[in-house]
Amino acid sequence: MNLITKLLFLGLSFTPAATFFTWDGAVAWSLLNGITLSFDLTPLSAFFMLLLAIGAPLIAVPMLREKSDESAYALYALLLLGMQLLLLAGDFIGFFIGWEMMTWSSYLLLLRSPRTDLEGAQSYILFNLVSAFLLLAGMLFLYSITDDFRIQAVDGLLTADKLVLFVLFGLAFLIKVGALPLHLWVPRSYDQAPDLFSAFLSALMSKMGIYGLMILPLLFPDGFNEISGQIFNGPVAGYVLAWIGIITATIATFKAISQEDMKRLLAYSSIAQVGYIVTALGVGSSLAIGGALFQALVHTLVKLLLFITIAGIILQTGHRRFIDLGQLISRMPISFFGVLIGIIGLAGMPPLPGFAAKYLMYVGLIEAHWLLLLAAMILASTASFVYCYKLIYGPFLGHANSPEAKTATEAPWQYLIPQIILMGMLVALGIFPGWAIDVLIDPVLIGLNMTPIGTPAWNVLATSYGGYDGVAVMGVFATVFVLITVLFLLVRGNMHRAASPYDLSFCGEVPTADTPLHYGAGMGRELRRVPLIGWILRHTTTGFYAGLTRQTQAAAGMIGTLYGSNPQTWLLLAVLIFAVTLTIQSVTGA
Amino acid sequence: MAHYIIDAFAMIGMSYIMGFLFYGFYRQFNARVQRRWGPSVFQNFFDNMKFLFKTETIIHGPMFFFGPMIIFAGAVTTVLFVPYLKDSNWLQGFSHSGNLILIIYLLVVGPLGNALAVGSSGNPFGVMGVTRGLTRLMGLEVPFLLGLALVMVQHETASVHAIMAAQTDFAHWNLMTNPIAFIVMILPFMASQHASPFDVVGAPVEVYAGPRVEFSGRLLGVLMTQNMMMTVAKLVLIADLFLGGATTIWALIAKTFALFLLTAAVSTSFPRLRTEQTVDFFWKIPLGLGVIGVIATVWFPWS
Repeated sequence: MNLITKLLFLGLSFTPAATFFTWDGAVAWSLLNGITLSFDLTPLSAFFMLLLAIGAPLIAVPMLREKSDESAYALYALLLLGMQLLLLAGDFIGFFIGWEMMTWSSYLLLLRSPRTDLEGAQSYILFNLVSAFLLLAGMLFLYSITDDFRIQAVDGLLTADKLVLFVLFGLAFLIKVGALPLHLWVPRSYDQAPDLFSAFLSALMSKMGIYGLMILPLLFPDGFNEISGQIFNGPVAGYVLAWIGIITATIATFKAISQEDMKRLLAYSSIAQVGYIVTALGVGSSLAIGGALFQALVHTLVKLLLFITIAGIILQTGHRRFIDLGQLISRMPISFFGVLIGIIGLAGMPPLPGFAAKYLMYVGLIEAHWLLLLAAMILASTASFVYCYKLIYGPFLGHANSPEAKTATEAPWQYLIPQIILMGMLVALGIFPGWAIDVLIDPVLIGLNMTPIGTPAWNVLATSYGGYDGVAVMGVFATVFVLITVLFLLVRGNMHRAASPYDLSFCGEVPTADTPLHYGAGMGRELRRVPLIGWILRHTTTGFYAGLTRQTQAAAGMIGTLYGSNPQTWLLLAVLIFAVTLTIQSVTGA
Repeated sequence: MAHYIIDAFAMIGMSYIMGFLFYGFYRQFNARVQRRWGPSVFQNFFDNMKFLFKTETIIHGPMFFFGPMIIFAGAVTTVLFVPYLKDSNWLQGFSHSGNLILIIYLLVVGPLGNALAVGSSGNPFGVMGVTRGLTRLMGLEVPFLLGLALVMVQHETASVHAIMAAQTDFAHWNLMTNPIAFIVMILPFMASQHASPFDVVGAPVEVYAGPRVEFSGRLLGVLMTQNMMMTVAKLVLIADLFLGGATTIWALIAKTFALFLLTAAVSTSFPRLRTEQTVDFFWKIPLGLGVIGVIATVWFPWS
């Protein structure tokens, strides 16, 4: 029975893949009053469906190891159904139904974690409900001016209407992607959710917000340019969006550096990485949209890999804080490579595909001449090296800092299989960035009526600003690495391991087992001495909201003083105003 | 194929020779400024050979061994992706398969690989050095890339070859046509060379810390070798981008040496900054200049 349930669940996780491969033709379902629900797999939704199709089974495999949990499986079924519904929907009704199913089933899944506290659960549901209501308001507003719920370009909107649509929908989706200061629910829920569900939240559900932001320009015939004209080579509305994205990315990166818990660090890094996507979407050129799609793909793979690996570490050691781990490299070598490949992708280092995504986004910004945004993006992505290093140093390097870390063994095979598949995918994408452009990204761009990026060969990423050859980069690097290693080992000379882990150059002293040698928790603390970073880390979003409340109350108090405390005064005032109005009206003869 | 192999070895050999001669000169120069005699210009070569032929090397596990190999592979890859000569079939390496942004990222691949080795040594002082290095990188990379982005916007390409080809004569050098970009990126460039006053990462004198604290023997030799080659690759890159590239080897040596001399002169003149001072400095002065540059050349293009 148990086994059958699990097999059914595994089969269930393949439904997005089944939809992706077998969907043909549009489905329309006439509802009432001439309103039709329509479902179709456009190139854009097919891209996100593919992400879901990759991610869902890979998360399901390690879940099979746990005791079978029928209600969780049922909620996952609802969640997958909702996400497929919203991707397939050709109108906002279907989209909204899918969105709500996704929100509620994920909320109930989050509640099932023993770690979830009231604050986390409440902030999750509050923020997501606000997002849903904004979406509802937006779609009703759209209906009120066009009598149509379909997701399509609307001609002849007033500028004010466009702005209202942009703000309502934009805010709804920005909450979902966790843009600052609307991100409060993200670190809490990613932290408190069951370890594998965090992978689902970060890798797949945050992409639904991105999908929403990508259908937003479809409402206007000329995309974001339509709303308020251009600044340099890009749209003004997109410029605002891009700044929101990059400020989110920068602040979230510094917050990630200061975290002491692996999952919280990954949560903040998710916010930051998705912030880059928002920035690229704001640029809106085909290079930048291509970069955004590439980044969405890479971020999905990387976060699946990292969260599943971290889940394995937590499973084997029972610890999640950097200070409690260390030196797992020899005990969990495959997990080490998982995190290594993951952080190389996260940091956007060549030769892995994170670099291809960064490259497209940088070139998109350069092409748009938005150089200040480029500088901010470089800041965020260079600062991300620090948390990437912390993520690999904390658990795997240095000295073991707890009894569990000293005796842990490699994660079970159910965790390793997805890791190995994901590592393979990332390396292959890094060698063949042109394949991703050709097969995955160009169809979407063509579907959006944009110029495809195009590629001369699958190993080449080519843009009008120049490109690079993935095989050459990887080939040269690997060849030199092998040659130098062989040469080094062939040349005469002894090499032997230090007698003990405490055999260190330690300022002339000899450290013992009691000496605190692990640097995991404190890493990045010294960054606070840099004035800008110190300023960012001293302030919190909760503090921001508290300040907002104070300011609102102060403003209300100030306006209150205008009325005075004596009711007779403002009765008199009202009578006077009434009299004056009457006089003016009679004088002008109205 | 044979062409590629010979070319690659020529580039690696040239980077190595230029590297130890430049650093040898630096030691001489520094000594003369301090009124010492100083060692011979070949001293760096002797030192390097001495390290590489040590008989004993102590390691702290496999990752500790692979780190220097990664950083060396990163340095050689960087060398091979920077075009050394203009309008020539030689000393090109694989530069036609790359671009400027790729090279800038390649510059940091190696150090990050080595950071893993430092971490696995288990010495907290080494990791402290790595964190300092990453912090400095965060500071310098923003104005450095912004300066280069100004050049990329000017020429509408990220290809080093195209940028080099556009600088036909002295009047068209980017140094002359886009001086503000040069000023923005030159100080961060010096920091990326580990030059004083931004060299507290390696902790040259004051405390026994820094990324190299645990490395000894031949591994230290590998680290020293890659550092010399990487320095030359960066100098050549800047000569390509701002000094019009070089058509002959002698012009290349002259231009890179001029840049190196500038770095050396700054190094010997200013006192060392702490890491957070370095970052703060880069985010105020060069980045501020960069913002002015963006406003002047992109927002209001009056030239």
